[in-house]
Amino acid sequence: MTLNVKRLALGAATATLMTMGNLAPAMAETVLKFISWQTDDAGTGEWWHAVIAAFEKQHPGVRIEFTKAERSAYADTMTTLFAANQPPQIVHLASFEFQMFADSGWLEPLDPWLKKDGIDMTGWAGQQKCEWNGETVCIMTNYFGFVMAYNKKILNEASVAVPKTYDEFLAAAKATTKDLNGDGIIDQFGTGHETKGGPGQYLTEMLNYIIDAKAYWTDKDGNITIDTPEMVEGLTRWKTVMKSGVSPVDMSASDVRKLFADGKMAMRLDGPWLYGTTEKGTAKSDIVYTVPPFTPPLGGSSNVLAMPADIPDDQKALVWDFIKLTMTPEFQRSYATMGGNTPPSPKADVSGVEKTIPHFPVLIQTMKEAAAAGIDRVPTGLELYYNEFSKMVMEETQRMIIQDLDPAAVAKTMQAKAEAIKG
Amino acid sequence: MTDTVQAGRRKFFDLARPSRQHLLGYILIAPAVLMVAAIIVWPLILAIDLSFQQVKIPRLGGASRPFSISNYTWLFSSQEFWLACWVTLKLVVIVTAGSVAVGLSTALLANNRFRGRTVARLGMALPWAVPEIIAVVIFAWMFDTSFGLFGWLAIQLGFADQMIPWVSSSTAAFWAVAITMVWKGFPFVSIMCLAGLQSIPSDYYAAAKVDGASVWQRFRWITMPLLMPVLGVTLVLTLLWVFRDFSIIKVLTGGGPLRSTQTLSIMTYDQAFQYHNFGRAAAVGVVTLVICIIASLLMLGRRSKSIY
Repeated sequence: MTLNVKRLALGAATATLMTMGNLAPAMAETVLKFISWQTDDAGTGEWWHAVIAAFEKQHPGVRIEFTKAERSAYADTMTTLFAANQPPQIVHLASFEFQMFADSGWLEPLDPWLKKDGIDMTGWAGQQKCEWNGETVCIMTNYFGFVMAYNKKILNEASVAVPKTYDEFLAAAKATTKDLNGDGIIDQFGTGHETKGGPGQYLTEMLNYIIDAKAYWTDKDGNITIDTPEMVEGLTRWKTVMKSGVSPVDMSASDVRKLFADGKMAMRLDGPWLYGTTEKGTAKSDIVYTVPPFTPPLGGSSNVLAMPADIPDDQKALVWDFIKLTMTPEFQRSYATMGGNTPPSPKADVSGVEKTIPHFPVLIQTMKEAAAAGIDRVPTGLELYYNEFSKMVMEETQRMIIQDLDPAAVAKTMQAKAEAIKG
Repeated sequence: MTDTVQAGRRKFFDLARPSRQHLLGYILIAPAVLMVAAIIVWPLILAIDLSFQQVKIPRLGGASRPFSISNYTWLFSSQEFWLACWVTLKLVVIVTAGSVAVGLSTALLANNRFRGRTVARLGMALPWAVPEIIAVVIFAWMFDTSFGLFGWLAIQLGFADQMIPWVSSSTAAFWAVAITMVWKGFPFVSIMCLAGLQSIPSDYYAAAKVDGASVWQRFRWITMPLLMPVLGVTLVLTLLWVFRDFSIIKVLTGGGPLRSTQTLSIMTYDQAFQYHNFGRAAAVGVVTLVICIIASLLMLGRRSKSIY
């Protein structure tokens, strides 16, 4: 019995020593978790990998664990991780979802960090959206403007000029929507809108027409401004486009982009990320990018970087180093050259990018125009209720289209419901 | 004295003794019970606790909010909840009835002797083997409004003169979900019924034939009564599956349009992860659980009265 106990103790001690030996190198390495939906995005994903490589080179012994979470389940994943006290050290969020995390006090105020390093954020596109309760809780990674891409072959075949206004856009879309083989099914669409990607995306698609009609959901003070003649006009335009059959319905964004990239659609209003898809499409040589026929163009903040409030101080310092690295002129430039995105930094040198991305000046132009007009997808005053608000607007708009309701009556209903949501 | 004590202990822990055999059973089942308690009962208690707190996003280990019934007050006065109950009820009735009708028919067919029976049985079980999410993605393509197979077929067969807006019409979206759920759910009923049919002694049928019973009479008075124990359990399991199924609706319609396919499961998810109202989501979940328990008890009660 005593011998058995001794053998057991010896075995346990050996196993412990071996385990500790294996753990030793791992303990020497600090791991920062970084979850994103952009890990393998064409261009942008490569840019993140480049930033991570540079950071790890600057910080020997620190490794960034870069993991993908699908965009469709991203908010759920991050909510679960924060709720379980297991947030990633590097927090990457969409600009319409960080508010809930900030409001729960889970994001570190970044003003002291900015002040410590003397970083001036003046002119940083969309950065004001990162202010929450008077504190800076994130750094805007991307602010974009919408562009219009069109298929010149389809427009030429229909003898249609590139549209410059909403009326011309609608006429061009109607002229290019065709059943090419006569089987009763439309094969070529004038334009395309995503209506299956969730309420937030639905609102983004609608906003193209609503902003051009000089309407918006709220004013700068956060008051609901839906029941207005301008909004009625915007809703009427959306209803007209969706009911006239010029756009496929019930499609996800990737399906719509693929249709356009493969020459089955004449015009597409989209952000900078459309380029990655059109470059791989069969109609690549026929596609031209230009400014949208809407004024001002739709634009907005896209995604942000932040850090959790309750991680150890040494990890906060590392995360701040990482965020700072993304803000350097070098990486702001490569955000354009590698990612094809419009960098938010006013000091970013984007000269020569048009050699690899010919329409880059158009992206910069629409970003600047949208930023100057103060356009954003997330309405002021409804940040915390954006999901609920966007779902309500989507449902009322669907009801308008399905039941053929008067846009003026729908605007009144939306106004009342939005006020109830805001409380 | 020490020897006596040790002998007493040995006797107590002598699990081979007939009077101690139940202890062995408890010991063997204990890990499984503890595991179930950890992954089901504990979260359930947390959910019930959460449903009585006004909380947006809870945090593990965080301080509890004061006791409140406001989530339930909101729930029972909410039109959204009653609409979700109605949609869930419609879906449960239609999908369960559809699955049983198709499943029982295919089981009766596959129970006969004919050439290719093995292949037919394999084909019958195939939808069950396909992972749900893959099946739904395939159905989503077939129901696609612009280029889907079903819309194309409807035009070719003259049932429609244009593509059917499966996902943007309330009625069509509901039926798209129901058809997909029946397709995914009937093989389970089939397999269970087939097993039940094979356990019915052939002597009963032979005796009934001698007595001159018709095919319908044999089905009504032999097959159905003897199948009821299996069918009853299958019905309850199918009903519970329809109640809790999430992925089919989420991928196909997301609960829309106009909440025409928003069941209690979808409502729970939306409240938790879309609106970040975890307290309300927990209340919907708890009410769903209560409804499921009542429905199961009623179904099992009826089953026990239906057999000989």
